[in-house]
Amino acid sequence: MRNSLSLVSVLVFSMLLSQFMATSMAASLDPPDAVTNRQDAAEQPAAKQRTQPPIDLKLLETRLKETKAIGLFTKLELKNQVDDLVNQFRDYYQGRLKPATLADLRPPYDLLLLKVLALLRDADPQLATTIVASREDIWAFLANPAKFATI
Amino acid sequence: MRKRVPACFLFAAATAFAAQSYAAEVSQLKDLTSVIALLALPCGEVVSATETKTKEHMAVCKDGNSYRVYLNPEGRVVAQKQ
Repeated sequence: MRNSLSLVSVLVFSMLLSQFMATSMAASLDPPDAVTNRQDAAEQPAAKQRTQPPIDLKLLETRLKETKAIGLFTKLELKNQVDDLVNQFRDYYQGRLKPATLADLRPPYDLLLLKVLALLRDADPQLATTIVASREDIWAFLANPAKFATI
Repeated sequence: MRKRVPACFLFAAATAFAAQSYAAEVSQLKDLTSVIALLALPCGEVVSATETKTKEHMAVCKDGNSYRVYLNPEGRVVAQKQ
């Protein structure tokens, strides 16, 4: 009984630690002023936030497919995980994911992006920077039912 | 002297070939390390890999785990612990 309780507490601690590390990695991967910008952006009217050109997902997809930083198996698995996430969004919009909310899809989205950035950061820093800069735009695209329907 | 030149050339060619093969092998090891990590399986680092069939590898990890990594019919990457 004692052993199973301690095992459970170790598992819970490991989960909390991994979540904390994921959050820390997300913060460390951001450019130094990105955190401040994000906070400021949250307070600005929505119209002012869209000063950048709309993100070209197709181009991003092509660059990911062509990058030499990731091997074949890794690309295939990433594609599977991206498809799984997109299917989760699709299920949400079709009402099959109740009682989940859109906010519930943010953690798996962030985690997947972290995985991609971890793979690209050293070998393809330019693409990693592009993805970091596009993170909120990609989320805004997925979180918009009208835009998501175009996928 | 005449006999040394071809030997040097052969040695240089062999070294270059080995370096290229090693580089290819390093990329394969890195790929398998990454995919096993993406599948959230314990491994650490793949230290050796053998291609058993087309698109199927036997990967041996630093922590002692071994995985058969392959594509299933649905196109999903599977890492089966051995």
